Order: sequence, then structure tokens, then C-alpha cells
Amino acid sequence: MAKILKPTQTDKCNGCELCLLESQRQLKKVGLEEALIRIFKKKRDDNQKLEMQIEIDPRINMLHVEKISKICPKDVFEVENHEEIEGKNEE
Amino acid sequence: MIDFLAKKVLTIDLNKKEADLKSFADLNKYLGGVALGIKLHEMYSDLNPVVLAIGPLNGFFPFASKTAVVLNDGGVIEDIYIGGSLSLRMRFAGVDAIAIFGRSDQPTVLDICNAKVDFLGEETGTDSLGLPGKRSAINFENNKILLDDYFTTPESFLEKIFTEKNIKGVVITGTEIDKPLNFDEYEKLYNEILSKKDELRVDMGIYPSCSNCPMGCGKSKIGEIGGNVLINSLVACQFADKIYTDIGVVFSCLNTLGYSYTHEDIENLPKLIEETIRRIS
Repeated sequence: MAKILKPTQTDKCNGCELCLLESQRQLKKVGLEEALIRIFKKKRDDNQKLEMQIEIDPRINMLHVEKISKICPKDVFEVENHEEIEGKNEE
Repeated sequence: MIDFLAKKVLTIDLNKKEADLKSFADLNKYLGGVALGIKLHEMYSDLNPVVLAIGPLNGFFPFASKTAVVLNDGGVIEDIYIGGSLSLRMRFAGVDAIAIFGRSDQPTVLDICNAKVDFLGEETGTDSLGLPGKRSAINFENNKILLDDYFTTPESFLEKIFTEKNIKGVVITGTEIDKPLNFDEYEKLYNEILSKKDELRVDMGIYPSCSNCPMGCGKSKIGEIGGNVLINSLVACQFADKIYTDIGVVFSCLNTLGYSYTHEDIENLPKLIEETIRRIS
């Protein structure tokens, strides 16, 4: 059953990049190049926080996505399995 | 790739608008961070450098998330520490330190991608520079320096020296990849250290976090000044001192990556720093 990683609570992301680094480790490398997750940080008007944008390459779903989801300290991700998604579409 | 036998220093000469990546085998004993920064001040004392330096664990292990900034403020060598994503970008730019000399005749923005440096005019700004997701940007905002639009340093030392040098912004992009030889051991150790987050002296917060740190604590914004010499040479977070003053943990990390530091190297570090400071004072 295919597992799909989805960032469902991006507003909670603190930009720690643990998810990105975990996905890279699963590919046996350390670094930012060719990462399947990218975090973009954008300034907010109040300067007290940053706004994060998470970009995910669909190839991420070939990795152990539950482990990537679990390493996030802010529970930003959800893992859906393919059947669940199909079920939702039918509804 | 990490050079286990030498420290890689990117020197940037603002007067000549030239940059060079140098490799120093004899600087390896300075480990990194404040130790490496102070030694580079001794080597380049005539050129009034501002040095950004990371340690051997930055980019690889959790909570090793700061960058040391070593500068001369009116004859006094100051070391301050900034969080955010900078240390991780420097690691994957393939440099242990960046030493910036001289003064630019025009307001300048430095666009650094690995060892390549472009000297750009102030009008360029930093927003369009570097590679998205792989860059760190240092900017002035309301006379205060901000890294990644959020993280700062204590006092105003960095603002003062950047103003003296006519630096308006710096963008650093890192695109190198590393593959620790014993990857399984590295991964195991990484997860062990990450699981020790309860040993940190900060609570989990709701603020932007430094790269490779899950905490999002309220302390990371303002950076650090002073503190433990080993932590400041590894350039780990001071609030992770319980983890990174454990010599067993430090050696496990260093050995897993492939460094061959000895206990004597670590034990001699405070003395080495003290002697270097004495020579340049």
C-alpha cells in the first residue's frame, strides 16, 4: 500500500529541517543538494516569527515517510495511504 | 566533502574583491569555532578580519547548530554565536571558516556559493541571491543584523564591523553532499543524540528553530556570547552543554565522521586558545 506524505499543518513548521535531513539520510547522504523536501523561510510583518513553505518532491513517497513524519517536532505532516485517498475521492 | 586532515578557510578580500579557498593542515588542532576563529585572527591580524567559523559536528548532528563570529572590537577579540541555518549552509558550502578582510570602497553584498564569491552592489539586495532552500542570508534591518530575517547576535559587534567594512549583506549557499563512511553508525548516533532533547536547558517553544534542532526555543533568536570553550569550538548550542561536554559523546561523533582527534587534542584546546589570545593581545 502506497504511503503519501502530506504537510497538513505548515503553519506549525519551525524550520528545523529535521524532515529534510531525515529524508537525505534515508538516501545515505547528508546535505541539502537534491533534497526531496525543501523548506523556504519568509519574513512575517511582525518579525517575531517566520512563515515557512514546504515543497515536497513526490518521489519522497518511495522513502520511509512515516519516519520522516515522526521526526517532525511540530506534527506538521500526515501520512495517508493510497487507499484512504481513493476512498476520500469516491466520497 | 569534509577534509579530515585540514581546515578549509574561504578568505575574502574586500579591498581587492578577491576570494580564495585555502586548506590549512596545521590548523586542524584548533577543532573549529572560537578556537579556529582566534587562530585566524592571529594569522591575519594586519587585515582586521571578521571570521565566521563552524565546528566539525555542524551540519551533521542535532544541536550543533550555531556559528561562531570572531572579531576585533577596538582591540578586544570578541566571540559571539548566531543560530539559524548558517552553520548548516557553511558545512555544505565545504568551508570551516570564512575570513573577511579589508574594507570595500562601495557598499557591497557578498554572494557566496560554496567557494565562489561574487561581489555585488548594494542595490542587488539579498532576496534574489543564492539557491532557494539551500541559502542563508544576512541582512541589515533597522541597523540590526538579521540572519534568515529573524536570528540576531548579542550586542552590536557584528553590526559595527560590517558597517566598517561596508558590507550590506551576505548570502551563503551550500550545495555539497557528504556521505559518512560508516553511515549506519552515524545514523544511529544521530538518532540517539536527537532523543536526548530533554537534556537541553531550554523548553520546546513556538519560535523559528535553528537547523538541526527541533526545539524552536525562545532563546535562539538572540544568539550567545561567551560560555564553554569546548561547546564554542564545536559550535554547539550552549543549552545542549550536557550533551556536548560529554567527551564520550563528542568522540563518538568525531570518530563516526572520520576525524582522528585524540583526548589530548580536546584537553589541550583551552590552553591553545589561551596562548593564542595572549599572543594577539
